Amino acid sequence: MTTTEPVTIGAVAADPATRPARQAAGLWRGLRSPETITGLVVVAVIFGAGLLAPLIATHSPYAQTADTFAPPSAAHWLGTDEYGRDLFSRVLYGIRQDLLVGVVAVPAGAIAGTVLGLIGTVHGWLDTVIQRLFDVTLAFTGLVMGVTVAAVIGPGLPAVLLTVGLVNVPLFGRLIRNAVNGLQSREYVTAARIGGVRPLRLLFRHILPNAVDALIVQAALSLSLAVFIEGAMSFVGIGVRPPDPSLGSLLRTSITFLDRAPMYALAPMLVVTALVLAFNLVGDGLNKGLLKR
Amino acid sequence: MVRYVLRRLPSAVIVLFLASIAIFLLLRLSSGDPASVLAGPDAGADTVAAIRAGLGLDRPLPVQYLIWLRGILTGDLGDSYILHAPIAQLIGDSLVNTLELATGAILLAIAGGSVLGYLMATVRSRTVQNLLGAVTALGVAVPTYVTGVLLVLVFAVTYRVLPSGGVGPGLSDFQIGVQYLLMPAIALSLPTGATIARFLAASMRQTLDQDFIQAGVAKGLRHRRLMAAHVVPNALPPVTTVLGIQIGQLLGGAIIVETIFAWPGVGQLLLQAVTGRDYLLTQDLLLIAVAVFVVVQIVTDVVDAAIDPRIRLERA
Repeated sequence: MTTTEPVTIGAVAADPATRPARQAAGLWRGLRSPETITGLVVVAVIFGAGLLAPLIATHSPYAQTADTFAPPSAAHWLGTDEYGRDLFSRVLYGIRQDLLVGVVAVPAGAIAGTVLGLIGTVHGWLDTVIQRLFDVTLAFTGLVMGVTVAAVIGPGLPAVLLTVGLVNVPLFGRLIRNAVNGLQSREYVTAARIGGVRPLRLLFRHILPNAVDALIVQAALSLSLAVFIEGAMSFVGIGVRPPDPSLGSLLRTSITFLDRAPMYALAPMLVVTALVLAFNLVGDGLNKGLLKR
Repeated sequence: MVRYVLRRLPSAVIVLFLASIAIFLLLRLSSGDPASVLAGPDAGADTVAAIRAGLGLDRPLPVQYLIWLRGILTGDLGDSYILHAPIAQLIGDSLVNTLELATGAILLAIAGGSVLGYLMATVRSRTVQNLLGAVTALGVAVPTYVTGVLLVLVFAVTYRVLPSGGVGPGLSDFQIGVQYLLMPAIALSLPTGATIARFLAASMRQTLDQDFIQAGVAKGLRHRRLMAAHVVPNALPPVTTVLGIQIGQLLGGAIIVETIFAWPGVGQLLLQAVTGRDYLLTQDLLLIAVAVFVVVQIVTDVVDAAIDPRIRLERA
């Protein structure tokens, strides 16, 4: 906030000195809501367990034994699968695929989408081109995008990462574009423009900070979508493939053995559902704090 | 009205055109040399060349693209080289099954979603409100592959009252066919139904707050007439919009549901095509998926404009 420039009309109208405080208050309100706290705790426990899988897991996720379809016991907390592998350890390692998708693919798609959306707000005809690209990308909904990517680069974890990235590009792009265009017509922006604030400074200093809230909420929802897509792609056989464990690939194999080992299916189902719901809760809570002032 | 439809068409055609080019180029550039895959490892160079010429792969890419488009328009799509049958027939057969599944799911979703949404907006009890809110929130969020497997676990494995998969005799023998259809259709309908319920409830609550509803109450309209003639019609536009979006996305859910229930539909065919690297079959099915999304979007816009004159006038 240290600046040597003289205070412009726009800066006064936008009130940059109090904006961060207001925004922080909104974020804090969002973070403190019961929904967000519940969601964050669930995410922290599950992702924490995935992150610490090498320390927590009781067995190697790939170690086969003769003890197939063992029921839950002290040695195998969730029992074993068709190769006698420890299910608890496989679920723990399976979480790591979603962790990777959440940490790599969602931010990559979010950044790409935000940049494309912003370019569109500055350039007229580029905006038209980018919007058409978003239209086309959106026409490949969720799993259809997954199938397309798998057809082009082959099934596997890279296909999951690319799919989640691509699906998020138009989501963030549209959001930032609409938010920025909405703010462009606000009085304080007009005042700043008349006051001689250069376009890029106007965008980054006065408009963008006010549009960030929507992106934060979308990030939580996108993480929920990412977990869903990993599960869906691996479940239908075009994502993470056996013998590598992921929540979706575990569930896929388990449906052959539902009558013998229901726990095989129930464990990944529970974890995937908890993750999806938890990220939705975080999104809801942040939404209440940030956007519904 | 006609003018409104005509205004919406060009952008849809552009999206469809760009998507078809993207599908064609991406699959053509990534699928390596289909001719040598087809011919097998022992084939001589002239056999491969003959197959290549037969598939039109020796022509320039724009010509190949036009040949593909012509095939789609005339229904002559060639043979699938993993399933050894005419692609048009494969797609036709699986499309019938997917349409049966999707129709069942959409009807269930509309019926269940409307009832739940209406109750959410009108029942005063806090307990009922919270319960319905929680149930529909779960319905929206819980992935189809979880609810589907759960249904199998309960109704086919534990209680053995419904078949765990397959289409059975289809709807020719209605009583038995419905038993096969029930679980897949329910699994596919849950996210859509729950979304309809939540949007209908929110939209009805907003409408109930409007002045003209107060006016209706004040002039002594009976409750049923007030709801049927004033609240519900005015609350519908956002619901039809979201229903359209959901229907456009139904194919993704169908891929999952067909996998769980071994339902021989378009989703299963698409997965077979992708894992078998049958690029001809893959490109046709992907184009269908995109086309369904685009067409449903237009239909939704038209329906919205038909039931809400404000949209029609604003954008005409």
